[in-house]
Amino acid sequence: MACFERASPALREILFKIHGAERPLEIDHHVHEFGSVHFHVQSSASDQPYTYLSISTPLLSQGHPISSELPQHTLEMVRGICPDVVEIVEPSREGYQLTLKINHARIPHSKASTKMITDISSVQAVILSSQLKEILRNVDSYEISCGLYKPIKLIYHPREPFFVIKQPAKITAVFPMRFKEKEDVIIATAFFQELMDVGSSGACTKAPHCIWSPIPPPELRGEPIQDLSTNCGFVSFDITSRHVEGKKLDKTVWNLLNFYAFVKYHVKSTRGFIQRRMRMRLERLVQPLQTAEPEEDQPVKKKAKGCRQVRKWISASKSKILKRKYDFTNKIKRIRSRIKIHGFGRFRRRWLTMPKFSPVTRYIKLE
Amino acid sequence: MANPLRLYLTCIRNTLEAAMCLQNFPCQEVERHNKPEVELKTSPELLMNPVTICRNEAEKCLIETSINSLRISLKVKQADELENILTKKFLRFLSMRAEAFQVLRRKPVQGYDISFLITNYHCEEMQKQKLIDFIVQFMEDIDKEISELKLSVNTRGRLVATEFLKQFV
Repeated sequence: MACFERASPALREILFKIHGAERPLEIDHHVHEFGSVHFHVQSSASDQPYTYLSISTPLLSQGHPISSELPQHTLEMVRGICPDVVEIVEPSREGYQLTLKINHARIPHSKASTKMITDISSVQAVILSSQLKEILRNVDSYEISCGLYKPIKLIYHPREPFFVIKQPAKITAVFPMRFKEKEDVIIATAFFQELMDVGSSGACTKAPHCIWSPIPPPELRGEPIQDLSTNCGFVSFDITSRHVEGKKLDKTVWNLLNFYAFVKYHVKSTRGFIQRRMRMRLERLVQPLQTAEPEEDQPVKKKAKGCRQVRKWISASKSKILKRKYDFTNKIKRIRSRIKIHGFGRFRRRWLTMPKFSPVTRYIKLE
Repeated sequence: MANPLRLYLTCIRNTLEAAMCLQNFPCQEVERHNKPEVELKTSPELLMNPVTICRNEAEKCLIETSINSLRISLKVKQADELENILTKKFLRFLSMRAEAFQVLRRKPVQGYDISFLITNYHCEEMQKQKLIDFIVQFMEDIDKEISELKLSVNTRGRLVATEFLKQFV
């Protein structure tokens, strides 16, 4: 799968590391990206300030005569990335299509270095774009020699081939769309229908005409059945001369190369969006059920059991108890001083003696 | 709320009000067991006739009642494939979080999209009227949510498509 960013993130990171190092670094990294691109970065302390970057990338068209090695104009475009810094090593190292010699001494230690290193890291995008550009340019001569509008199968990723068909006033790019899951197929189909609607609406009149069809377009008749068996139909873009003139060619080529990645990214983010939204709605759905439960019982004040008078005694403070005791004793004394009743002393000891309360807060020692 | 939908929901509400008179009833087959009879269906005398309320072929509700439990199964309308996957995805998402709803069944009854199981214990713990309100509200919300989700996915697709095509211009 391609990356929307032209520069390879891993390669850029390594080049920054080499460039920013205070001492010469011994580096021998192999980086595989997008499933099919292979970078080999080699830097040795003995050969400073040079770094060797070797690239192996799948060539877009395997059936085309240019597929054996990188064409001259591609090499020219690579040389043009940073002419002072990058030098093409010939012959390239074994197993790689291109080897670059990067002179770090010529990369300034300033903000300009970021741009230069990013440009060097996007060498793979330059190679692939130049291939598609060349195919689009040379299509005429190829067809003239063959005498028919034969579709050219381009393989940017082994599982995601697409076709370019040159027609009298336009070039048609046809993408057979395949997805693993049914859910993805439906989201992508909804997207393609929107793509068709937007393309035919007034908002994007200058954009390439886009058609989605569940069956292969007639131009692909005769192609191998495995290329035409899809579960999400075929998307075609009609590229006219307007879309490939001047600087637009670069954009158009890059958009076509990244169309698969773009759709897959949209499907993936839409699934995430649905999931987020469902998670948000869950709480709202549960809410009515929470109100169905009766209100939680208020914490019931535990009533102290027993006689109200005794409770009053217990709850009174120590000073209050003492005061009451004093008053009560005085009252009894007054009674005793005036009237003498036989047997009242026993009655008094039994019933009118002040009970001894211990404060509520005091703990009773357990034995 | 649209009139036909209101009629459909009112009908379900009335049926639920009539059906939701549940009582504790121990299992007749196994001693000291208390199971929802609507699920086991061991004793036909404890079951009432199931009621199906249909709005149309794609949208219906099945209410099965027994002495101690009630099962409500819903079929949500799915007009196209996008609505179909959104409904399936959303209802599966809810079923997997059934514990949050208490009355939601983890697996729907055959032929329906989502099922609820209300037992006499639920009726004791919750207010009956609020439970019915919840079911009706849930049905309304699901319909609304699916429509909104579909609209959002299409709007999102349209914006992305516009951005993609703008790159060519």
